[in-house]
Amino acid sequence: MIKKIIVFAGLILLTAALCTAEIWKAPDQEKAKERAKEVVPFIKEYKDDCQITRRMSLIDAGISIKNVQDVYFLLDSPVIKKREDHYEPVRFAHKRHAALTKDCTKCHHFRPKDENALETTRCSACHQDSFNPDHPERIGLKAAYHQQCMKCHQEEAKGPVDCKGCHLRNVPDHKNLVKLPDNADPFQVTAECLRCHDTQAEDMLKTAHWLWKGPSPYTTGHRKDIMHGKGTTALNNY
Amino acid sequence: MPKKDVDLKFVAQNVGHSSRATCGACHFNGGGGDAIKHADMSRQLLKPDRNCDIHMGGYDFSCTECHKTRNHKIAGRSSSVPVAEGKVTCTQCHSDEPHYCGSLLDHHLNNHVKTLDCNVCHSPVYAKCKPTKTWWDWSTAGDKKRKPEKDKYGKPDYNKKKGGFKWEESVVPDYAWDSGYMNRVLLGDKVDINADIINLTEPVGSINDSGSKITPFKIMKGIQAIDADHDYILVPHLFPRNKKDKTAYWKNFDWDKAFKEGMNTAGLDYSGSYKWKETWMYWRLEHEVMPANMALSCVQCHESLKSDKTCNRCHQDNREIDFKKIAHKGTDFSYMKSKGRDVGHLIEKTDYINFKALGYKGDPIIHGGRFKKLPMGYQKHD
Repeated sequence: MIKKIIVFAGLILLTAALCTAEIWKAPDQEKAKERAKEVVPFIKEYKDDCQITRRMSLIDAGISIKNVQDVYFLLDSPVIKKREDHYEPVRFAHKRHAALTKDCTKCHHFRPKDENALETTRCSACHQDSFNPDHPERIGLKAAYHQQCMKCHQEEAKGPVDCKGCHLRNVPDHKNLVKLPDNADPFQVTAECLRCHDTQAEDMLKTAHWLWKGPSPYTTGHRKDIMHGKGTTALNNY
Repeated sequence: MPKKDVDLKFVAQNVGHSSRATCGACHFNGGGGDAIKHADMSRQLLKPDRNCDIHMGGYDFSCTECHKTRNHKIAGRSSSVPVAEGKVTCTQCHSDEPHYCGSLLDHHLNNHVKTLDCNVCHSPVYAKCKPTKTWWDWSTAGDKKRKPEKDKYGKPDYNKKKGGFKWEESVVPDYAWDSGYMNRVLLGDKVDINADIINLTEPVGSINDSGSKITPFKIMKGIQAIDADHDYILVPHLFPRNKKDKTAYWKNFDWDKAFKEGMNTAGLDYSGSYKWKETWMYWRLEHEVMPANMALSCVQCHESLKSDKTCNRCHQDNREIDFKKIAHKGTDFSYMKSKGRDVGHLIEKTDYINFKALGYKGDPIIHGGRFKKLPMGYQKHD
């Protein structure tokens, strides 16, 4: 009996070890994902400084890029996702933006009124739900992100201003969209995809991945050609 | 066609974004198997170690986050094939001044960006996680008696169908000036049959061109056949089309028949006589960028900084700044060795990129840069 228990326990441990061995995680991304899940307490009162005053006071206090602790994070707040969830997280290189703007107050435009609070705080501490009747002056987090990022990217003529430049759209669940018989053959599947995605199919037929040839703008003597590739003239030694 | 037991309805109902697995299904297997062709891509990138690739291993990047797509056209310049639908560069995200953390070195590092491709420093060895094939001698294929032997990585040195191989891991790249353009030998192009080596692809660049940068390459070297009369590369028919195929090399092991059929399909004449020649292909190294703290240090290239004089050649600074520490901070090959990588010989290496081979008189700190007139701390006995 004891032997049986030992063998059983051993099997459980072995399975656990195998399972953990299979889980791969990208450490920096994982840290950012955990941080993005956090919802911090709402800051009701803020200090209504003029931005230039605030900028000078941060400089006087010696606060700069060297104080940046979170180098990278994901914009993926549950505050937005509980209402709508259409897009994947946005990667945000926090320290890089701090270095480029050289001005923390571009984003950290106000501070909490509480003198004991930290000088800078997350966007989502002040911007949470939109149309909060107690704080009609506050725009919601989604609007705050979009206005802040896009306005600056437009002014600086740097960085993306289109949706896909920052985040991928979630793929809609195709379980009910795809209508196919069981044991569908490849032709039926292709036809079913084309039912909605005919433009994409037309595009696909013009690509190098489909044709195995295409423009060769970086090959000397052939910079205006459009027919070189593995399907036609490319050579190799492997 | 997919395998019969694949439930295509299930597949269609679960469509999603592309991933490292979807792109890698083909691109990790270039050259006929995992890590064979590409020195900087392999199935390791499905679950990469952070030290192997910071983008994918640290931040879980998928291919299309850099290789942006537009109407199904995918940006990226391959060095092995001519076709390109847009380009991808590090600076598209990292800008022309990528070193921004306020270190004492940032100014110098950002100056280096004008002359060096990022991966010179940030990916100092290729095939760092898995051996890649670097030599492929087709002329020795077809030997029934030759038994493949395994090298120190456990990789075979021979395959009857394909010929002789050499595999390498954690290799110092070959460095060349690259303007982003390539010379290529294409199907039917005449080559110099008397040359020692024929470059099927080679970067176009010059030390005197401000648009060229020192760039790391894997050079795929091998021996393949050239038509001895027409002076062009021969294309053999390898894969048998069916059981009755009488010309495919991998069924009949007769090069003459394979070249005749291959060239017939390619629409080019085959003279009937061929010659084995050594050919090289330069492939730019783009992936498997290491974390910033694993980049090359100053001294690993600049031998002149190895002695007592380092930054104080120019900077008369008597505050408590440890110039030596700054000059030595970088890739720790002994750490990589402790992780099982084959880099023992690189631990004390200096003149890493070989300045003279790139056209410099020597270490640019002593002899001056390519456009700068004044060297730094020049001494006659140097």
